[in-house]
Amino acid sequence: MALVKKTTSEVVDHEERKRKRDCGSLAHQLCDPDPATRRWAARDLADCPEASSVLVKQLRREMDASVREIILTTLTQRGDEEAVAGLIECLRSEDASLRNEALEAMKLLPAEVAPIMGGLLSDPDPDVRIFAVNVLESLRHGKVEEWLKEVIESDPHVNVCATAVDLLGEVGTPFSREALENLKARFPDQPYIRFAADIALKRILAN
Amino acid sequence: MAELNISKEDFLKFREFFYRKTGIQFDDSKRYFVDRRLIERVEATDSGCFRNYFMMLRFEASGDEIQTLTNLMTVNETYFFREEYQFQCLINSILPELVQHKKDKSPIRIWSMPSSSGEEPYSIAMYLLEYWACINQWDVEIISSDIDTKILNQARRGSYSQRSVGNLPKSLLTKYFTPSGSEYQICEDLRQAVEFTRVNLMNAADVRGYRGFDVIFCRNLLIYFDDLSRRQAADTFYDALHPGGFLCLGHSESMSRISSLYKARKFPDSVVYQKPTEAS
Repeated sequence: MALVKKTTSEVVDHEERKRKRDCGSLAHQLCDPDPATRRWAARDLADCPEASSVLVKQLRREMDASVREIILTTLTQRGDEEAVAGLIECLRSEDASLRNEALEAMKLLPAEVAPIMGGLLSDPDPDVRIFAVNVLESLRHGKVEEWLKEVIESDPHVNVCATAVDLLGEVGTPFSREALENLKARFPDQPYIRFAADIALKRILAN
Repeated sequence: MAELNISKEDFLKFREFFYRKTGIQFDDSKRYFVDRRLIERVEATDSGCFRNYFMMLRFEASGDEIQTLTNLMTVNETYFFREEYQFQCLINSILPELVQHKKDKSPIRIWSMPSSSGEEPYSIAMYLLEYWACINQWDVEIISSDIDTKILNQARRGSYSQRSVGNLPKSLLTKYFTPSGSEYQICEDLRQAVEFTRVNLMNAADVRGYRGFDVIFCRNLLIYFDDLSRRQAADTFYDALHPGGFLCLGHSESMSRISSLYKARKFPDSVVYQKPTEAS
């Protein structure tokens, strides 16, 4: 017993693929009882045209976290309209893990998410609007401050504004100064809003 | 032109952002180090001031600048016994747990990546031979991979500078190396203990065959990846590990920010990440 060395060809598992890798078969394998088979199918579907719809469908019913994660990775990699729409739908899910996972995936798609951000920020459901602000937190896009300013100027829900003002503490510039002042007047009975707006203003003025 | 300054507010704002993006935390004692590098990048990008630079850093769609800055903020060097506490963790905690749960006497498989010029896989080999009491009861395979074929050839040759071996105890340097001019040549036994292979971690076809590992070392690589690539790497390691297998990352890296599939294990020497034992 000791350190043993194998050749490169022995190191790698050369087991023949047991299942077909064409797009139709892969879509079918997404429903296989074995999670490992579903994971590999989800990964290999990355290159199949029109795979996003089957991946999204599976994502919503998939119970195994490891499969769900790889489906999300593949959807992020694809980043097409159907993938983004599927991720947005997940924001409305009752499943908190799925919502958070979708949110994290959306943060990786700034160019794809930007065109629909306005719609998300005016969604009738305040929770979806909060998730949208959460997406902005790590979205690398030039309009982030503008979106946040619009939120604190017009969103009627205090929790949505509180989420936005926290973020403005980091990304705010003099562009948002007046809106931050006005926000305190919009929610005079909310000490947290005053506190967070003052911190954001302090940071802006420090520069 | 006025001299650039990074104010305390700027430093705090940057520190918070950078930690969230990379997991790298700078305490106040690193202020000078951070400020110097920030100023360097403000100047190099013609941003004019920290605020402009920070906005660009934060919102740049390509993420190129955050990558450049990350490279600058991390010390990219490798040497024998670097981050030795993880090798201690390997022999004190990881391997005892693995052998306790092993159902057969099949070899323990360790994957070290990126191999770079070989310091890490050879360090693992040396550590096992020197400090793991059970090495005579178990076979251990060490496979080390890198995307760069040139660096792989260098690793196979096993010739190292004084700086590379500077952290090794003298007794081990004498035992495993032979001085050769200004270099140190690693002994044949160790060269024969590690298999070096070329792998692009981002290529599904390259990594598909890498399965059945008990321990993976992937230190100070993921910090250079973008977020999506990190997720893909985490998925790859998950498939490469046996259920219950361990993943060791660099000191500034955290799997918690990348994937929720791994269980963080806090051992006395180090925090490592484990694929759940019940996983498929």
